[in-house]
Amino acid sequence: MTNGVGTSGIAPRTYKSGSIIYFEGDKSEYIYVLKHGRVVLTSIKPESGEEVKEEVRQGEFFGVKSALGRYPREETAQTMGETVVLVLSLADFERLVLRNVNVVRKMLRVFSNQLRRINKTQRTVLGEKDTINPDAELFRIGEYYFRAGVLQQARYAFKKLMEHYPDSKYAGTAMERISAIASGKTDIPSPGLDAISDIKSDSSDLGDFSIEEKPENDYSPRVKRGDSESSSLSDEMDDFLSDDELGNLDDFTFEEGGKEDESYIPHLFDNARELFDEGQYAQALEVYDKIIGSEDLTTDEEKKIYEKSHFEIGRCQMKLGKSREAMAAFGNVIKNYPKSENYKGALFCVGQIFESAKQKDKAMAYYSKAASTPPNDQVSKQAAARLKQLQG
Amino acid sequence: MMLDERFFSRFGVEYSPNEIIFCEFEPGNEFYFIQSGRVKIVKIINNREKTIDVLTDGDVFGEMAILEAEPRSATTIAMDHVKLLKFHRDNFDSLLQGNPQLAYKLLVIFSKRIYDAKRRLMILLLEEPQLKVMDVLNMLSEQDPKLDLQNEITLYVNPQQVASWAGMAEADVQKVLTHLSRLDKIELYGDRIIVRNIRDFQRIVASKRKSMFT
Repeated sequence: MTNGVGTSGIAPRTYKSGSIIYFEGDKSEYIYVLKHGRVVLTSIKPESGEEVKEEVRQGEFFGVKSALGRYPREETAQTMGETVVLVLSLADFERLVLRNVNVVRKMLRVFSNQLRRINKTQRTVLGEKDTINPDAELFRIGEYYFRAGVLQQARYAFKKLMEHYPDSKYAGTAMERISAIASGKTDIPSPGLDAISDIKSDSSDLGDFSIEEKPENDYSPRVKRGDSESSSLSDEMDDFLSDDELGNLDDFTFEEGGKEDESYIPHLFDNARELFDEGQYAQALEVYDKIIGSEDLTTDEEKKIYEKSHFEIGRCQMKLGKSREAMAAFGNVIKNYPKSENYKGALFCVGQIFESAKQKDKAMAYYSKAASTPPNDQVSKQAAARLKQLQG
Repeated sequence: MMLDERFFSRFGVEYSPNEIIFCEFEPGNEFYFIQSGRVKIVKIINNREKTIDVLTDGDVFGEMAILEAEPRSATTIAMDHVKLLKFHRDNFDSLLQGNPQLAYKLLVIFSKRIYDAKRRLMILLLEEPQLKVMDVLNMLSEQDPKLDLQNEITLYVNPQQVASWAGMAEADVQKVLTHLSRLDKIELYGDRIIVRNIRDFQRIVASKRKSMFT
């Protein structure tokens, strides 16, 4: 940022070699311009702890961001050799840049780039993928609003999807949604969207992934303890667990709770989800237990909710730090509902539990199974990523 | 900041309550100044709409579009009848020339956003929940130059906001805060947190940060 601005009336200040102009962490409203000599800025990269040294060029400003943003200095500025700098107050600086917009423009580009870089690092830290598909994401947002009944917003997202990504694989469904909204036929959002399972939800918390509906609605009836309808994987799983302090899958029991009016089931489920999202895991767990405990589930929707609740119970237990109980719940899903939409999610979670219990081999076995279970959706990808990391 | 009236006839746009201004992941080519009204910034996270911020008169949003087209990082929705100035990247240069005040304001905004982003990154990189929460409080204390950090300070923040900064669930933040308040490190109120000795928190986080990479 070479500054071509006139600096008349601003007194220069001379420093001896090795002087500190300011320390990291200092608070000050001064901005500097290097006139003669050398200034080195030393800062620490937050993501790696690496020390970064940067030399200021002659005529360049330094200390700008922290002064303007009124926050502590992020770097230490030290002179090398006798050095002359101009010291500007915020008012001086403002007066200067107002007379020379080119300087501002250059700075803005530099700042904008910096911000972009930091945001990118932040996404990496949060485990968000860089290669996002904006069309899939726009579709996800449209679907969210569509299902929530906020049709104006849904329509906007779908329209933007059509406008910018007309060749997207979601374009067809988006178009259907737009016509549905236009004709007012939006009562029954079709649940059978393969598409959705491709889309990541917030990945900042691995345990929080949500798995959306798969087309098939394979309801397996409630399986009582001791039922021997086990797949090869569930056999494997028993093997895994036989020497494990986390517990034995056959230990799980069903709570037989009070009878609930069936019409409340979907409502209860929504409530439980909300509680979970709000971090009230124990309360959510109670509601899920209630669902599981209710008898005579009749409609397909209720049966599906019943299935899902087992999985959700596992997630609650996980959040509550109860690995044994979580394991039992996921084991239940894996053993008894292998065709359920939560099957893969359950595998993944079991992998996580083993991983946090430092049982690497078992964790890897479950991640591997989750990664290889079609379709290759976000859960599979997350599982593959964990697997890769564990393999070192 | 007052902008020339001519600007509104040329760049002015208006939105009704609840109207989307732009949607997350939509390509962005314009940035906006709020003339009047409120705009909320939201993201769909875990299948819920979360409000990240509410902006009002004089605020800027969509500024990342200044440099190049990139998918929007959040959705913006008008909360009231909103009047905006909308600038395309292509006429950014002429805009700056004609409006050095605006240029200066943008510099200030970018400075603050860079700091916020960097600070948030540093918090996210800490592993233990307690350290994350402490560092959010540290950050808030840095933002107010008038605070006397040698003494007890009052930070106007609620657990929900702390959670959002720390990238943690509110329940977990609440646990940490309750714990700290039992130790009499902080005093917890609905709308504010009193920190007995913020220097203490700064030292703890700084020493952890130093040891993280060694």
